[in-house]
Amino acid sequence: MSSGRSITRSFSSLLGSAMFRYIVRRLLYMIPVFLGISIISFFVMYAAGDPLSIIRIGKPDITQETIESLKIYYGLDKPVPIQYLNWLTNLLQGNFGKSLRGGRPVNLLIGSWAWETVKLQLISILLAFAISIPIGINSAKKQYSKQDVAVTSISLFGVSMPTFWLGIILIIIFSYQLGLLPSAGSRGAPYLWWDNPILDQIAHLIMPVAVLVYVMLAQNIRLIRANMLEILRSDYVLAARASGLSERKVIYKYALRNAIGPVITYLGISLGMIIAGAPMTEYVFSWPGLGRRYVTAAMELDFPVVMGITMIITMMTLIANLMIDIAYVYIDPRIRLR
Amino acid sequence: MTENILNIEGLKTYFFTEAGIVKAVDDISFNLKKNESLGLVGESGSGKTVTALSVLRIVPKPGKIIDGKVEFNGDDLLEKTEKEMQKMRGSEIAIIFQDPSSSLNPVYNVETQLRDVILAHQTVPKAETRKKVIELLEVVGIPEAETRMREYPHQFSGGMKQRVAIARALACEPTLLFADEPTTNLDVTIQAQVLNLLNDLKKKFNMSLVMITHDMGIIAEMTTRIVVLYAGRVCEIAKTHDLFERPRHPYTEALLAAVPRLDMKKTLRIIPGNIPNLIEPPSGCRFHPRCKHAKNTCKEKIPVLEEIEPEHFVACHEWQNISLKGERKH
Amino acid sequence: MASNKKGEKIKEKSKRRPASQWAVAWRRFKRNKAGVFGLIIVMAVFFVGIFGSFFAPYPARPNKDAIKPFYKGDVRKPPSWLDPEEPNNFKYLFGTTPIGTDVFSDVIHGTKYTIYVGLLVTAITMALSIVVGAIAGFYGRWVDNLLMRISEVFLVFPALLFILVFVRIFTLTVGDPFLTIPIINIQIPAGLTIVVVILGLFNWASNARMIRGEFLRIRELEFIEAERALGASNTRIIFRHILPNLLSSIIVVSSLTIAYAILLEAAVSFLGFGDVNTITWGQILQENFSEMRIVWWAEIFPGLAILLTVFGFNLLGDGLSDALNPRLRD
Repeated sequence: MSSGRSITRSFSSLLGSAMFRYIVRRLLYMIPVFLGISIISFFVMYAAGDPLSIIRIGKPDITQETIESLKIYYGLDKPVPIQYLNWLTNLLQGNFGKSLRGGRPVNLLIGSWAWETVKLQLISILLAFAISIPIGINSAKKQYSKQDVAVTSISLFGVSMPTFWLGIILIIIFSYQLGLLPSAGSRGAPYLWWDNPILDQIAHLIMPVAVLVYVMLAQNIRLIRANMLEILRSDYVLAARASGLSERKVIYKYALRNAIGPVITYLGISLGMIIAGAPMTEYVFSWPGLGRRYVTAAMELDFPVVMGITMIITMMTLIANLMIDIAYVYIDPRIRLR
Repeated sequence: MTENILNIEGLKTYFFTEAGIVKAVDDISFNLKKNESLGLVGESGSGKTVTALSVLRIVPKPGKIIDGKVEFNGDDLLEKTEKEMQKMRGSEIAIIFQDPSSSLNPVYNVETQLRDVILAHQTVPKAETRKKVIELLEVVGIPEAETRMREYPHQFSGGMKQRVAIARALACEPTLLFADEPTTNLDVTIQAQVLNLLNDLKKKFNMSLVMITHDMGIIAEMTTRIVVLYAGRVCEIAKTHDLFERPRHPYTEALLAAVPRLDMKKTLRIIPGNIPNLIEPPSGCRFHPRCKHAKNTCKEKIPVLEEIEPEHFVACHEWQNISLKGERKH
Repeated sequence: MASNKKGEKIKEKSKRRPASQWAVAWRRFKRNKAGVFGLIIVMAVFFVGIFGSFFAPYPARPNKDAIKPFYKGDVRKPPSWLDPEEPNNFKYLFGTTPIGTDVFSDVIHGTKYTIYVGLLVTAITMALSIVVGAIAGFYGRWVDNLLMRISEVFLVFPALLFILVFVRIFTLTVGDPFLTIPIINIQIPAGLTIVVVILGLFNWASNARMIRGEFLRIRELEFIEAERALGASNTRIIFRHILPNLLSSIIVVSSLTIAYAILLEAAVSFLGFGDVNTITWGQILQENFSEMRIVWWAEIFPGLAILLTVFGFNLLGDGLSDALNPRLRD
């Protein structure tokens, strides 16, 4: 598309000028957001809930002394602002604290799980985009055709389906009825032909990825179709056609780049939701990721683990958003860096 | 006699909407001589733009050309395959749209957009296309073409954008150019510049020009012959001079009277009523509900276009019985 | 909207317009098969929700553990029409659970909670987003900036995580399973209401941004400008002119928000954070998840109920959107 010269030009301008300053500014802007979220979640959580109340429910005959000693052990006896400052100093040194259930370090608990979640989400997001773009375009091109009606109603169906329920259906069919795919975990399938570690990994990924892709697919297709419909009616598409460009070029070059912007923006705003959907999928497929760990931790009111996962996911979302904003500048030249 | 470059006969383009069939262009016939400047006049919704899009065969959905003949240099364009048609667009027939800020793609720079048009029709090496793009931009009067071609449409002013759009239309030196209200969205001072540019380029490239507008002032300056459209039909065709001096169709008269003029003694007249609903257009002559000369026959019979003087056609049952005022008689 | 004390003329105009606008929308809606289908589903859900206890085969169980007095000990029975040993095809339409409850009855009794969740969450969400969106959209400048930054944080942040831990913290504090609203004397489930309030508080961001956008669009329209020139107060402009124009968007978004709220509550319950004293559809799914290898029917049918209900509200929302915002359509 662009010549080698223009690539080097844009690269050098990237380091030297507006873009570089923009990224630095955005990274600095993340600090207050990050602090804000941590303060709000920490204070509301620790002020509203007593993490040791669960222990009392589980063991009604526990003595007050034991509770007090537990409080001192976990530093829960101090006022909440002091607890927060302690937590923050530890965090700055890369230490998320220790779990209230067993006292193991949070770092150890969530380190490897974070990777599993990232792997699952990344594969799904990329796959969802690769599939939804051609389908959405085709659907818009043939608005109200049979294919379009089928695609729109199926995707509306997809938006209406509870994520976890789709997972349940898949497990019932493919694991229990057909015995084809493993129903839980991320490795170690009890089937002979998956002795190969790569195949084993793929076998475990198929169903969770399918669920995540299906849910995103529905949204993406609806969005691309709606954008495409508007853009296909625009004057610049008509003008491109009038200039004798091939239909392929009109759609995949002139229309698509305009349609993709809002989709990417949407991805930015919905990333939170997509990642928040992880608990459901991970729970259904017993996927050893952050989401499932979070569900357990929230259930047990294990605040240090909850805080740790919250902050990791916030970080992931903020960085992904920055990446999307940068991509957007390249897609739409009208966007100016502020 | 010069040959006709374009010959439209009985063109019908309908839009099949949910509300019903909109007969946007309903049996329109006219022709265009080589190197001529023809004006296509009418209120908005009279079918001017749809006629142009029909010639290029890019009528947007749910529109469809359902009947007629569009002969370009003797070949019927409606018989051609989509592929053949694609080759004609941009290289033989081009169009300039009304609003340059929406007709240029916002996400590609000017060079890319012009280059794509050139490459769609010619196989030329990269360095040469760049040279061609610069040349084109200079022709349409954009200063510092070499740096400005790397800019995006939003970085240009309205008039400059329209110049870019003109450059794109002329990229492959078409022989027939449609200009669809090319100055409506521009400032008055810029309008004149763009119109002059169009006139110069027409001579330079030896083009035939179809000027689509509702502005009678522009028409008077830019064209030699005029086709007046009303609600998807032709009312009158005449030489510009004749039409302004001796309009024969009541609608043409009304159009002329609706133009504000400095030397006008009377108040400005407006045409009573609205342009009719094209799903259920009025029977007979489509202008009859708004025409003060209408008789019973006007409601019942569709008037045919007849030649009343050499090269002056009118579609009106009553033209012999009424006397109409032209421009000079104000 | 219709009553305007300023003068007879205005009164007449504003009286007629809204009526015809809604009538036109209703006519357009009726033509949309999918939308009507959605409306039928939604009406059916409301019917089952209100009258379900009269035709459910077994009475509602007050909570998760209270089963014995209500059921006869038929555990893990598949749907009767699939069970060759069961002569009565209608005995357990959706089968029974490992603890011997009838899934069909549970689903029917759960319908009212679904409606409760959908409506109340949407009421809270919409109230919040209208207030935030209106303030941001009307006052602009730093107010707008601040509110939009906050909404961005809410959007970027994975709200479900917050929701889960807050629901857990606050449901632990619930003493009585049911609260009685003093004056109207209606009992509401306490735990479920906590879930509902938290869902409502965390959901407003995207709706508020939409309403702000519409607000900005309408604020710039000419008639608002004119109204301001006539000296109307801000409150008058907001309540008399902008909000009525927003109504159609609010209706559409509400319908879609109901669908989303139902899905969210199901997710919260399914993950085990729901109110154990109200057997919602998500609660049924949660209870039988560990034994789904055998009692798959206890997972399939409640899920289908959720899917169908949410689908209905989504179809209705889409249909309303097509009917009320025709500018998005051909």
